[in-house]
Amino acid sequence: MSVKISSSLPTDREVVLGILNNSVEALNKLYAAYFPMVLQFILNNNGDEDDAKDVYQETIIVLYNKVKTGSFELSSKLKTYIYSVSRRIWLKKLAQQSRKTSNIADFEDVLAVEEDMEQHEQKDMQFDKMKAALDGLGEPCKTIIEDFYINNHSMQEICEKFGYTNTDNAKTQKYKCLQRLKKLFFQS
Amino acid sequence: MRQDLELEAIIEDYLNGKLTADERVAFEQLRSNDPIVDHKVVAHKVFLESMAQYANILMLKEQMDEAHSQIDVAVLADQLKPHPSRIVKLWRNNKSAIAIAASFVLLAMVSLYSIQNNNKQAGTFEAMSQDLAQVKRSQGGLIREIKSIRTDKTNNVPSTNRPRFGGTGFAISGNGYIVTNYHVVRGADSVYVQNGKGVSYKVKSFYNDPVNDIAILKINDKSFDNLPSLPYNIKRGTSGIGETVFTLGFPKDDIVLGDGYVSSKNGINGDTLAYQVAIPVNPGNSGGPLLDNNGNVVGIINGKENKTDGATFAVKSKYIMEALNAIPQDSLSKRVSYGKRSALQGLKRNKQVEKLQDYVFMIKVYNNN
Repeated sequence: MSVKISSSLPTDREVVLGILNNSVEALNKLYAAYFPMVLQFILNNNGDEDDAKDVYQETIIVLYNKVKTGSFELSSKLKTYIYSVSRRIWLKKLAQQSRKTSNIADFEDVLAVEEDMEQHEQKDMQFDKMKAALDGLGEPCKTIIEDFYINNHSMQEICEKFGYTNTDNAKTQKYKCLQRLKKLFFQS
Repeated sequence: MRQDLELEAIIEDYLNGKLTADERVAFEQLRSNDPIVDHKVVAHKVFLESMAQYANILMLKEQMDEAHSQIDVAVLADQLKPHPSRIVKLWRNNKSAIAIAASFVLLAMVSLYSIQNNNKQAGTFEAMSQDLAQVKRSQGGLIREIKSIRTDKTNNVPSTNRPRFGGTGFAISGNGYIVTNYHVVRGADSVYVQNGKGVSYKVKSFYNDPVNDIAILKINDKSFDNLPSLPYNIKRGTSGIGETVFTLGFPKDDIVLGDGYVSSKNGINGDTLAYQVAIPVNPGNSGGPLLDNNGNVVGIINGKENKTDGATFAVKSKYIMEALNAIPQDSLSKRVSYGKRSALQGLKRNKQVEKLQDYVFMIKVYNNN
């Protein structure tokens, strides 16, 4: 392709190490490096910029999960892997929207990524479940849980933020919220 | 309720590895004794993992959104979106496919070309009628011969004319029917035949078959005496490759023997009407009989390939028969027989030629233009 992908293309090894070390810089580089490739693919296959963003971010998540579980081997080029995963995700989306899926215009080689995709779909389901459970929780429970489990705030901080008279009250509140959340999560 | 809350807190600390060694042992004891506690531990573990995963992905998405905001998507999209021109789009999308296809086409063309080169006889067909005007320019001796004939036979040959073309023909019946190539007599104003003794007779065209390149002439001259019965037959069936054949013809004023063999079952470019024979022929041989060792006519010499030596072509005998059958049968007396035993069989070549030469004629074509 005539479009230059990136002036500072990170090496595949850099990317893998960056992911393992949760490096924000590595993520930024990775993100910028291959987005144009995916954008091109989506734009040329019935998609728009937003579709490209969604597909690309999902692809990066797949890559992250794979690298984090240690199952990513540099047997193929990272570029090819990203392209194949993006392609697979987009084809599935097209099929779901019953849009035209024949005559896919390809720009790169394609790998078989079915296994990774299955794993990803399971994880994606868990994510959606958790999101739905949290959304169904209502305030202030949602914020308390998010603060505690996602933002790693201490009970002390939560107690102050929500104006509980002591941490025991806060803990009780959190416990009640957690019970409801778990119920929502496991039932759905 | 209080109890549950504390249990939950302990489970969480346990899963997060925050318990001291003693507490840990005590808790594991409790867990193994109480299946309800154990179940709670497992469930909470799954929950915490899902939560962690959720948190990770949420964080990742946040970071990616940040990274995304630094990219100028609009500019990129402009560069990368499908080009309005179908051709450019096709080219961009299928660059590698087009490259592969192109190389295949190239390869196919090259191989096709080489196959064709192998199959195709590169030369072109050259009819073997004798263009005497040409011969005159190149062969002084031959012109003299022709001139001398003209002076000798002024009574037979219009003096204002000289023969423009020459070929060979042979008798197919005792009463003066002669077969030759159509291309020898094509466009002729008048045609004469001359036998080995140098006597010319006027002939008229009797039957033409341009497709098979066969013409039948009838001697139309009072001085012509009927020939004795023909010594040769027309061969039934085809000759195989390697069969020895010979021809008699008039590339010059005297009869010339050419000897060779059938070299291919088909003529130029796979022409099934003709054989390819390996006999050196020259202009003037056209229309000559091609005979096998047993004295059967297997064909009529009608041309050669101009780029290959020894590639001569002869119309197959089958088509002579077809031409013969087109003639009213009662007009042919002592006609050539078909598929019978030839009188030349078993004779040596010199004896065969001796018997044959009275039946082979030089064709002389006069053309006023």
